[in-house]
Amino acid sequence: MKMKKHFLFNFTKGILFTLMWMISLCMFAQNITVKGTVRDSKGEPLIGATVRVSGTTTGTVTDIDGNFTLINVPTDATLEITYVGMKTQVISVNGRTTINVVMEEDAVALEEVVAIGYGYMKKESLTGAITSVCSDDIEKVSASTVSSTLAGKLAGVSFRQAEGRPGAGANISIRNMGSPLYIIDGIQKDEGQFNNLSPTDIESITVLKDASAAIYGVRAANGVVVVTTKSGRRNTKPSIKVNARFGFQNWTRFPETCNVYEWMLGKADAEMNRVNPHTDITPEELEKWREGKEYGYQSFDWYDFIIKPNAPMNQINISSSGGSDRINYYLSYTHLYESSVLGREFIFKRDNVQANVDGQITDNLRVGMKMNGRIETRDNPGVPGGDDYWAPRFALFRNRPTERPYANDNPKYINDIGHNDTNWALLTKDLSGYWTETWRVLQTNFDAEYALPIEGLKIKGNYSYYIADRLMDGHEYTYKAYKYFPETDEYKVTFTMDNPWRERGTHKVLEDVFQVQINYNKVFGNHTVDALLLNERIHRRDLDTWVHAVPNTNVLPLIYFADMDTYNDSDVEQARIGYIGKFNYNYSNKYYIELAGRYDGSWKFIKDKRWGFFPSVSGGWRITEEEFAKNLLGDFDLDLKLRASYGELGDDAVGIGDFDYLRGYNYNSSTVIMDGKMIIGARDRGEPITNISWYTSKITDIGADFSLLDTKLSGSIDYFYRKREGLRGRKYDVLVPSELGYALPDENVNSDAVTGGELLLSYNGKANDFIYSVGGNISYARQKFLESYKPRWGNSWDHYRNSRENRWDGTFWGYEVIGQFQSYEQINNYPVNIDGQGNKTLLPGDLIYKDVNQDGAINGYDVRPIGYPAGRNPILNYGINASAQYKDFDISMDFSGGSMYSYNQNWEMRWPYQNTGNLLRQFYDDRWHRVDPFDVNSEWIPGKYPPLRFNEGGHSNYNKNSTFWLTNVRYLRLKTIELGYTLPKELSSRIGIQTARFYINGFNLFSFDNVRELGIEPEIMDENGLQYPQHKRMNIGVNVSF
Amino acid sequence: MKKYILILSIIIFFGWGCDDNEFLNRKPTTILMPEDVWQDNELAFSVLADLYRRLPEYQTVDFWGDFTTFNMAFASNFGDYWRHQNAEWSYDEWGLWNYGLIREVNLFIKNAEDADENILSEKNRFVAEGRFVRAWLYFELVKRMGGVPLILEPLTYDFSGDPSYLQYSRAKEHEIYDFILDELDAIKEDLPNDVNIKSRATQALTLAMKSRVALYAASIAKYGVTTPTVSLPGGEVGIPAEKADSYYQEALNASEELFKDYPSYSLYDRKEDRSENFSYIFLDKSNNPEVIFVRDYIQSETWDGRSNIWTLHNQPWSVTEDLEGGRLNPSLNLVQMFEKLDNTFEQFKTKTEDGEYIYYDNIQDIFSDRDPRLAGTVILPGSKFKGKEVDIWAGYKLPDGSIITGDDFGQRKVLPDGSTPVQVVGMDGPIDGREWSAQTGFYVRKHMDPKTGSGQRGLKSDVWWVRCRLGEVYLNAAEAAFELKDLKKAADYINEVRKRAGFDIPLNPEEISFDRIVHERTVELAFEGHELWDMKRWRLAHKVWNGEAVDLSDCPWKADQVNTRPFGLWPYKFYDPGNPNHGKWVFEKRMPSIVTAADRFRLGNYYSRISDEIVNNNPKIVKNPNHD
Repeated sequence: MKMKKHFLFNFTKGILFTLMWMISLCMFAQNITVKGTVRDSKGEPLIGATVRVSGTTTGTVTDIDGNFTLINVPTDATLEITYVGMKTQVISVNGRTTINVVMEEDAVALEEVVAIGYGYMKKESLTGAITSVCSDDIEKVSASTVSSTLAGKLAGVSFRQAEGRPGAGANISIRNMGSPLYIIDGIQKDEGQFNNLSPTDIESITVLKDASAAIYGVRAANGVVVVTTKSGRRNTKPSIKVNARFGFQNWTRFPETCNVYEWMLGKADAEMNRVNPHTDITPEELEKWREGKEYGYQSFDWYDFIIKPNAPMNQINISSSGGSDRINYYLSYTHLYESSVLGREFIFKRDNVQANVDGQITDNLRVGMKMNGRIETRDNPGVPGGDDYWAPRFALFRNRPTERPYANDNPKYINDIGHNDTNWALLTKDLSGYWTETWRVLQTNFDAEYALPIEGLKIKGNYSYYIADRLMDGHEYTYKAYKYFPETDEYKVTFTMDNPWRERGTHKVLEDVFQVQINYNKVFGNHTVDALLLNERIHRRDLDTWVHAVPNTNVLPLIYFADMDTYNDSDVEQARIGYIGKFNYNYSNKYYIELAGRYDGSWKFIKDKRWGFFPSVSGGWRITEEEFAKNLLGDFDLDLKLRASYGELGDDAVGIGDFDYLRGYNYNSSTVIMDGKMIIGARDRGEPITNISWYTSKITDIGADFSLLDTKLSGSIDYFYRKREGLRGRKYDVLVPSELGYALPDENVNSDAVTGGELLLSYNGKANDFIYSVGGNISYARQKFLESYKPRWGNSWDHYRNSRENRWDGTFWGYEVIGQFQSYEQINNYPVNIDGQGNKTLLPGDLIYKDVNQDGAINGYDVRPIGYPAGRNPILNYGINASAQYKDFDISMDFSGGSMYSYNQNWEMRWPYQNTGNLLRQFYDDRWHRVDPFDVNSEWIPGKYPPLRFNEGGHSNYNKNSTFWLTNVRYLRLKTIELGYTLPKELSSRIGIQTARFYINGFNLFSFDNVRELGIEPEIMDENGLQYPQHKRMNIGVNVSF
Repeated sequence: MKKYILILSIIIFFGWGCDDNEFLNRKPTTILMPEDVWQDNELAFSVLADLYRRLPEYQTVDFWGDFTTFNMAFASNFGDYWRHQNAEWSYDEWGLWNYGLIREVNLFIKNAEDADENILSEKNRFVAEGRFVRAWLYFELVKRMGGVPLILEPLTYDFSGDPSYLQYSRAKEHEIYDFILDELDAIKEDLPNDVNIKSRATQALTLAMKSRVALYAASIAKYGVTTPTVSLPGGEVGIPAEKADSYYQEALNASEELFKDYPSYSLYDRKEDRSENFSYIFLDKSNNPEVIFVRDYIQSETWDGRSNIWTLHNQPWSVTEDLEGGRLNPSLNLVQMFEKLDNTFEQFKTKTEDGEYIYYDNIQDIFSDRDPRLAGTVILPGSKFKGKEVDIWAGYKLPDGSIITGDDFGQRKVLPDGSTPVQVVGMDGPIDGREWSAQTGFYVRKHMDPKTGSGQRGLKSDVWWVRCRLGEVYLNAAEAAFELKDLKKAADYINEVRKRAGFDIPLNPEEISFDRIVHERTVELAFEGHELWDMKRWRLAHKVWNGEAVDLSDCPWKADQVNTRPFGLWPYKFYDPGNPNHGKWVFEKRMPSIVTAADRFRLGNYYSRISDEIVNNNPKIVKNPNHD
């Protein structure tokens, strides 16, 4: 038996061997095994590089040391070695068995692939104004929202981050055209979804700035931001990457206030500056305040009490990606935690998962899934008032330095300061309650692509399902506040807050998107044709409920019907359909043309106004590919493409409500109490609006992309003009009597325009081991109103002041300050009535307004345009990016900046002692005041700011917008700086790690600007200066891949 | 392979297979279709309730600030100090041209008229109530603008390019009054007679309103003569003097019909204490016999007007239930108008004839023997609210006349010769310039809800706003009778009101004068939204608010006393240990330093401006007088 078995084994083996030998003899008679190592230009081994025998499916990937082995390689074969970010190498085997490959960095800017409308395109064949930014650039920015990472990175995207609280995003706008449309992995999404992707999961962000956005139809008028998430690559070794960082953050700036002595002295000043000077403050008392020792005369610094520096922030991302020849995947988890300087209880945290999987089911059928989900939480104490971040900031100015948080400084007793909702001692989760908001979001896209038997023809289906769920819970507790009575050493309750606030809000978004498309792509010699037909249906439903109760207890969380007094419910739907067609043609990579059109329908309009067609055309000419140009240039290496585009885009957000075309009654227009009973009111909707539809935006772009010096220097330049027609406005040909009871409905009659351009330049250089790149961009975009329908003016002033015809939008109007009074004599003899009261309220140092119309009085007729728009993004935006690498060290820096926008000081930033609270430091430090504040006849000491007044917002200094309080802001700030060190391969491989890089990273470290003196952030919008400013951060972090 | 083609075909079929318009047609979730509304009493009532909700008003409990306009009170709130710093009222002030609402009411009346009575069973009552609302709207218009285009149908523009058929001229002022009076007659029988219906039109309400409307028309006819420039040649502004008596008669008749034929209505008289009784006219919502028409509220957190914020905004700071309060401070101007119980007038005595302070043992002594309605209208120093004593006093007065006080509520300081800090100013102030302190020395009581929780932002008050009550009708009747020279009747009606107020000595017919009529309305109806319209119809407004920065009037009984700036009365504790007067109270009259302007009512303010836009849109509209 044994023998037999052995024989049989040998026999089988022999047959097999013979068979194999025979096969190899006839088919692979000259095959060899090829080994080698793939390294980069620095000699570091490249892991996961693909080595493939050209024209076959034989291939492998390099291992951890960059080594590969390929068997059965024909001796005359050609190997193709590819690696992300490197130029593909093609090497003939020529019988060699060892082939070492050095890969070169792929710096050819024009050859990248860019995500565009419903697909990808090589950068060299782009014909529209499109710019993009890739994952590396985004990841380095230490920000919690995606929009905040974009500062200065994209030419043509204006940026202003006014608010810096944890989880806050920035206002971004493409060419200042308005809020853009966001497309995430092919699906139309809102800004919230965009902002809360994990930046590490983003492969690229592409911005379609011109007619190239038209393919997105009725919502694309303000440009489109296209986001693509990361995918694994086929035939790559699985890898696991960890990116973790940990840091501290502080406010960049916040306006400063005064201490108690300054406050009191200033108040005495202010009271003596009244029309009837009188103050109860005495020099003796003032001296006590200055000494600050006696009971009741100590100063309290609310800033030190409220603001806790070095608030922690951390972020960790773990991802895995890879692929076989049939399946590729990318899986990622990110955790983000951000606290704020308002103590550790004001936090934002977010967990993201991303799972993208693609599988080739058969040679013709590919299916894929992209899923992202997140849990996003904002959590803080329940603070009275609408915005829980407001009271602590307001407290910095509202609270006087004479006021103290605890009665008799005893932390057991909250001091009753009269405005206890700004007493920070109270605003803890323990005493004041809580507010928590959690969004749970899941976006899943399924797609299938089938290659039809006809070559180049593919059919594709995509279904996306999105669910977002918001749960908000808030509870503001009842509390007691005390006063201390020293004579009896007692703490007595002098205020009880009996008004608990319990609220719960839930919101659900349900969204389905369905797309079917046919693609055709074929190369016929020099002709390349690409065509697309697509149908898209979008349905969205928003459900919202909000409940309010007045519970009897602070301790239990459930809401009971008996305590409830409000239940708000809403359910809103949207539906849109688009039919899309696109045709691209390219001759010899020299001439490009693209025609596209979209036929879109929106539920918002009445049936016969529902559909619109949005066509676009664009073309490109790579002029340097022409023979004459080549002859002309000779050795000079220039690649230049000229391009132009024109397109019509639409927007259904014309400013009408969802069902304005319906007659009927709005139910729940009011709640009316009739003899004790609650009646839900219903109100006539008025005459329906049936004659309005989307407006059209026509955008023209002329630009050029170029690269030269062996592609070291590359860039692009663009000019654009967007004209919007059919904006909502009214026809005034026919004046109907006001007694008709309704105004004639608005129509699509007005027009406006945005015009501007961008310039983008980047340079990549190398000097031995020193590799560097530097780039910059600058963009200008300004909006102008063009015309309304036959405007009418009551008089010439009305025309001058209120006309928008052919004028820049948002121009700031105000009074021109031509100086400050220097003496009483000057005031007494001044011919113009500045304050409307015969100048009796004026003092030396007060503002002198220009009497433009010379009528002897300052009034509304003296206002003139005095500045750029205030509440908008900068007209001029710029950014500088630089990075360098030397051996194992790398450094990168981003600057971003803006100018041509205004900041208007008002409220706390304008009137001293607003609300009788604290005083802006600058107003005290640099004020007109008397040598002896108690003597009205003493000499004046000049300063920059007018003499103080006590909460007199109505005074002529403060009750007008003027050049004195308006700043044309300019800034350039260091947005990000990162310094990294990568462990040498030998070291890291010894501990089983592929690469390990350590870095320190700074965010918003400094800024050059012209508002530093005011103590405010250059990007702030709130006129009172109390907006939550941006953070500056320092992080340390590590990137590891296994 | 075929399998996949099949799957893809299915997907494509579904993609292109459904009807696009079907997909785009979405149903609204908040809109009622007209056909739903007019077949259902409940839904039709929803539309009507919303119309009632929007009756325009000037001076209501929804906004305390408007009660400071005419110096009956001071606005103790930072954002409202401008109210005392502007000398003149704009001609646009109190203007109204709400034809949008009138169109809605006309539509309501038309739709209700067209409805099938078998389906909409309350049709007739709805029509009558629609007409009542419309009459009320035209009354609001005529009070403010004079005669206006009288539009009684829902107009529609036909887009023909020629809107001239929509151009109506202004009616004469008296035509609007006549229209209102006729409408009230016409609808009366279709309305219920039920004393417990307060939020909707009733028969009694038509009479109460007739009494008011006819009285306004009558006094404009009579006193318009004193301001001849306040008129237009076409009669759009101004009523012929000869019409006065018939209007007065109509006012009297309507009032008397209400007194005689509707006995379920009577003056409120349920509480022993006269001041308390007076304040409860506005608080007692159970079978209140005096109240005729209200805007009702409930307690609720929601800030959409379903709850009443008066108590929240005006509660004394020392007893506040929330971080709000103290805004409306009644002025000494008003307070000193309340006469003494012996029917005589007197200013508050703070100093003797030789300039020495008068020392009062108790802080309330200075207010004793006054009309009980004073304490029912105003929270005086030393009085209580919600069972707690308010703490209104301005500081310590030292013998040398100097003052020790603080700039924070209840601030503590060390007194001369003292060692521990003691309170030197009331928990309610007054502190000059400090918002929510009683800067005049007074807080308001009328409409203030004594229930616990009424001063919380999360609850607020359910006290209703009384638009019409029998007390006013008695005063209307008294005024009409006085003007018709029936002094006996005038005395009888005015004494009804005064008796209920707590006056034991009736006024004799010969004591009834125009000053008395004006005075009685001022004190009885304070903070009920009457003073502007009264002063206008009597053509007293330009005399009372004449722009002169004069001192507090020393003749509080006079109808035309100048009243251009609000004053206050501040109590101080006298501090002089050892002195027999130590610890007693002295008072000082003072004007809040915030007040920098004296109010001036110009002749052009009698009728508000009709804007250029209105005139441009309809060239047949003539502008009001004195506006250029």
